[in-house]
This record gives sequence, C-alpha cells and structure tokens, in this order.
Amino acid sequence: MYEIIRKSLFRHLRKSETELHPLRYLFWECTSRCNLGCRHCGSDCSADSTHNDMPLADFLAALDTIESKEDDLIVVLTGGEPLMRKDIEECGREIRKRGMRWGMVSNGYLYDRQKHIALLNAGLGSLTISLDGFEDTHNWLRNNRSSFTRAGEAISIAADAPRLNFDVVTCVNKRNLHELPLLYDYLAGKGVRAWRLFTIVPIGRAANNPDLLLSDIQFQELMEFIYSKRKLKLIDVKFSCEGYVGKYELKVRDSFFFCRAGINIGSVLTDGSISACPNIDRAFSQGNIYRDNFYKVWQTEFQLFRNRSWTRTGQCAECLEYKDCQGNGLHNWHGNRENVLVCHYAKTLSSTRS
Amino acid sequence: MKSKLVRKILGGLSFTTALFVFQACYGTPQDFGADALITGVVKSKTTGLPVKGIMVSVPDYQQYLYTERDGTFSLYTVSDESCKITFRDNDAALNGTFLDKDTLLSVHPGDRVHLNIFLQEK
Repeated sequence: MYEIIRKSLFRHLRKSETELHPLRYLFWECTSRCNLGCRHCGSDCSADSTHNDMPLADFLAALDTIESKEDDLIVVLTGGEPLMRKDIEECGREIRKRGMRWGMVSNGYLYDRQKHIALLNAGLGSLTISLDGFEDTHNWLRNNRSSFTRAGEAISIAADAPRLNFDVVTCVNKRNLHELPLLYDYLAGKGVRAWRLFTIVPIGRAANNPDLLLSDIQFQELMEFIYSKRKLKLIDVKFSCEGYVGKYELKVRDSFFFCRAGINIGSVLTDGSISACPNIDRAFSQGNIYRDNFYKVWQTEFQLFRNRSWTRTGQCAECLEYKDCQGNGLHNWHGNRENVLVCHYAKTLSSTRS
Repeated sequence: MKSKLVRKILGGLSFTTALFVFQACYGTPQDFGADALITGVVKSKTTGLPVKGIMVSVPDYQQYLYTERDGTFSLYTVSDESCKITFRDNDAALNGTFLDKDTLLSVHPGDRVHLNIFLQEK
C-alpha cells in the first residue's frame, strides 16, 4: 500500500515536472575530440584535431538567452573528452560568472593533480570518471594500454576532494560483469562515495559489437549485485536512469524511473544542435543555436520529449507497465520511432541466457 | 508559482528527493556544493605596484594558483568558518622578493570575497 501511494504521488510529480519543464541540467558537448577510442562509445568522437571544438563564445551566447534560470541549473561538459580543450578552465569560469554550476564527464586520462587544482579553482563542482573494469578489461574496452592506470590515479585525486560531488561510472558488459565485486572493493579502498552502473545500449560503436551487451540473465545478476551492495551503504551504488526495471525500481536506485530528457535535461551539441541527452538519436534535435534562440527552443519545442504518447508502439503498445515506463529512456529509440531498442523491463522477466 | 508549490508538496509527500536531485544518464551528479569565490590583488607595500607570480594557496584544500601580471587572482574554494589563505613568494628574485603573509577568513556558501593584499619587501 505504502509503495502504491508513493508511486501514485510520483506519477503526479512527473506530470507536473513535465508541464513546467524547468531546465535544470544542460549538457554541452564542447568537443568531439577524444584521446581514446572506446569500443562502446555512444558518440562519434574522433582523435582528429581537425574536428573543431565549439567556440566558447558561441555556447555562452546560447546560455545568455536563458531568461529565467533555475537556481540549481548545472552545465555539464561532455564530449569527446572535455579535457582535450585547452580553455576548459575559462569555460568553467564563464559559466560560474553567469550564476550556474558546472560539472564534467571525463575518461580521466588527462586528469592529473595539476589539472584537478586548476579545475577546482575555476569552480568545478561535480565530476564523473569512467572505469570499466580492472586493467585488462578496462584497457581493452578503452583501446588504450595505460587508460586504467590513468583513470585510477584520477579517481584517487577526485575522491579526496571534499568540494567535488564525484562519482565513478562503469559500463557493465559481458567481460566485466564478474569483476564487479572486486571493483567495488577497489573503489571503496580509494574512498569513492558514489558508483553508477550502466549497461551498454546498441548505439554508436556498440551497435556493431554484441559481445558488449548483457544477456537477460546477466542483466538480472547486475540488478541483484547493485541491490546487495546498496544494503551495505558503504558506497552509494546505483543503476543509472537508462531504463525502467520493474520489480527492481527503488531497489537499485533512489527513486522511480523518470526519463527527464527534454523535460529537465537539455543539450547543446558540437554542431550547435539543441537536443536533450547527447546520446539520444540526433534525429530528435529540436533546433540549432546558430539559427535559433536556445531558450525559445527549450520553451516552445521539445513536444516529442514532453508528450511521449508516440512511444506507445511496437513492443510498448500493449505493455502493462507503460504508465511507469513511458517508452523507457529516449536514447533507446531511433529516429524512425518504430520500436524501442532495449526493454530493460523485459530483461528483468526473461530467463534467456544468450 | 502555484504549480511550483504543488510540485514541492508532492515531492515531500512522495518521500523522495528525486524531483530535485537527479542525474542524467551519462552526466555528472548535480552540484549543490557550498563554495565561495575568493578574488584579490597582491601589491608591494613599498611601491604599491602589483606583484606577479605570488603563490596564493588554500592549504586545507590543497588549492593554489599564482598571481597574474596585474597582481590579480581568482579561485573558488570550499566555504569554511576559518579558511586560511597564504601568500608566498616562491620565484626567488624574479618579480621582487617579499615576505610571506597568511590571512584567515570566514567564508560562507555563495560568498564573493575580494582581498587587497600588501606584501612587505624583504
């Protein structure tokens, strides 16, 4: 009964938040350059330095269109690898000057003590570093033989900073699933306070690598692992918001599933496209900062994101869980909108081993 | 305004901070951190001219930077009831030679503190 009431209230909350759609979280895909070549990358990044970064002034012009700013609005720099930019501290300072917070998602390769201090000085408030297993596994996935060492050093530095709201993310796949218990101990030993686990969605480079994708049974093992570690309360372990997980909701994260793409989350991509999370199919872009007023687009477009009734098709058409799932995370959809790419809920039910 | 209030009440009743605290799939956690901005300028007590290359540190949080050509500096740091800022001339005779100086501040979340620091020449 308690959970039914709670769930019902949450549905009202979600409806209200969708109607108001306050922009609380803005991704800036500040570069498409990257120093690694990850097998599971969801973006089309490149080490090629001929790919231009978006000039800071262009992004700031988009930020300056925001007429009514939420107090907690955070700008999250992503890429590519944000640290490939030489002006990253200046980017952060300009964001802070506008009364906004900023954070960064990094592979940690270039995150040394000196860079850490420079970023803190520039007002960095949150940070996520990726670690996808122990040395062999991580380096295999990241296509770089020193990436584990470098990421581990970066994690030690970041975990020691009281100012940072810091977490580690791990993309769980067939190769690293069995490493998770030891990885938990490794992260605890480094003083990491939060660890977020993903699965890999068949988009970007991962679309052509089925070995990266968990079977249904493996997915359930992952849910059970997260649930068991959350009970320990040593590290805040959670499953990401990538999808609705039925009976595991609230067991593997703090709140019910709610894909906030286009509702609270927007993005400015390297080519100026205005969208929601950067891993969402670019066919869903709603405008471009080089052509449109960013805030006007945020306020008046994004209907695809705020009315998800179009997702009630294909696999979702007759699903009894639709009221809570609403078509799963939007990055699980292609622009053709024919069917959801991954149904996490189905994975929690199935006994398929392949 | 009314709908925002309703939203907050519903958020409280559903016993979850989820409405306000969330994390995009591939993004960072949100930042509700309590930091403050410390800016300032370092000058020579003797000449009144700005001093470049002075190391400005917040030792408790292992942060530091060096003053610019015009003697200015700017850093965000953790708010702290007793925040110690130190000024050190570490570049030998380059840019002059100055005695060390320490300052103790009470810094609250969101504060913007500006310091005018005068260093005694050796």
